[in-house]
Amino acid sequence: MNLRDLVILVADPSSYISMLIHGMLRGFGSNKILEVRNSNGVLQTLMGQKIDIMICDMHLPPHGGLSLTRAIRGKTDNEHRTMPILVMSSDSREATIKRARDAGANMVIAKPISPASLYDRLSWIAFNPRKFVDTTTYFGPDRRFKIEGYPGGVGRRAGDKEVEIGAESGPALAQDDIDNLFSSVQTGQD
Amino acid sequence: MAKGKNSKSGAKKPGPSVVAPPLADTGVAEKPKSGKAKPASPAARIFPVETRFQQLARRSGGVPRDQAIERAQAALEVLKPAYEEDFLEREVSGLCDLVKKVDAGHEEPGWRETATFRTRQLRDSAGSLGYELVAFISGSLCELLDSIESGSDCNMESIVCHVDALMLARHKPYRRMRPEQVPELTKGLQRVVKHVTI
Repeated sequence: MNLRDLVILVADPSSYISMLIHGMLRGFGSNKILEVRNSNGVLQTLMGQKIDIMICDMHLPPHGGLSLTRAIRGKTDNEHRTMPILVMSSDSREATIKRARDAGANMVIAKPISPASLYDRLSWIAFNPRKFVDTTTYFGPDRRFKIEGYPGGVGRRAGDKEVEIGAESGPALAQDDIDNLFSSVQTGQD
Repeated sequence: MAKGKNSKSGAKKPGPSVVAPPLADTGVAEKPKSGKAKPASPAARIFPVETRFQQLARRSGGVPRDQAIERAQAALEVLKPAYEEDFLEREVSGLCDLVKKVDAGHEEPGWRETATFRTRQLRDSAGSLGYELVAFISGSLCELLDSIESGSDCNMESIVCHVDALMLARHKPYRRMRPEQVPELTKGLQRVVKHVTI
C-alpha cells in the first residue's frame, strides 16, 4: 500500500491518541497528515481542502463521529460525500458496528489501535472498493459485504495464525490398521 | 501486498446515468434472517466509486506490510520513555486529584466528562503502547463511567478504588505487568464493576 501524498485527516479529541496514530501513519509511509479535535474542525478542513481519507473517533465532540459521518454522506453538494471514513471505537459490540455501518462508515477499527490493525483496515479499504448505495434513507458504501481476511494480513480473527504442518512421511496408518478400525466401529468394539 | 482486482481507471462520478438494479437484486453477503428479502426502494441506486485514496494507495512503490508495521512499531517505541515519565504520570495524577476532590465533596462541574475523557485516553494510549495493566484498569474504569452515564448509580467508592489501582500501576515495577500477573487486583476490580453495573 502506498500512502505517499495522500491527505489523511485524523479526527480525535485526544492530542495524544492523534500523535500515536500520526506516528503509525508515518511509519506506513504517509507524509500528509492533518489533525483536528472536533467535528467543526473536520467540516472546516473539508471546506478548505481535498481530503483523501478520514480516520474519525466515535466520540468526536460535540455530536460524535457517526453524526459527522451521516452529515458528510448526507450533504448532496459535497465533494467529500464518497470519501472513505474509518471510524475508531472502543466499543466493538455488534450493535455499535451496525450503527457505524448504517451511518455510512466504510469500516470500524477497535481502540486501542495497533499498527497491524490500522494497516490492515486501510489496506482493505484501498484494495476492496465497495459500490455506493443511494436511497432515500441511506447514502454510503454498500453495507452487504464480507471480510475473508485482510489483503496480505491476518485472518478474520486476531488469534488467527499460520500453522506449520510437517512434511508427509508416509501413511500414518497401514491399510490393515485402517480396516481393523472400521470393522471395530461397525461391530461396536472399542 | 495483494494487488487489487479493480482496474485503475479514473474515478466515476455517481449520476443518474449509472443504471443500478434495486437493492434486493444485488449482493449476497448478508441474507435476511427471516428468509424474505425486504422490498427495495424504487429510488435505490447502486454505483461504483473509485476514490483518489483507492487509486493512489494501489500505486507501486509503497512500503510492504511487514516493514510498514515494523516502522510504525518503532515509532511507538520512541514515544515510550516520555509516555512513562510524563504523560502517564500527569494523566493518572490529574485523574486522581479530580476524583479525590469530588469524593471529598467539592463542586467540580463536568467532572464526569473530564474523568471519562482522561480515562479513555489512558486506556487507548496504554493499549496501543503495550502497557497492558494500565489499559486493563482504565478500561474497567471506562466501563464503570459509561454505566453511570447510562443510568447506574454513581458509586464513588468503586471509582476511587480504580484510581488507586491506576496510581499503583503507573509505578515502575507494575507499569509493564500484564493483568494476569496481578490476579487479586484484576479480579477485585472485575467484581467491583460487576456489582456496581448490575
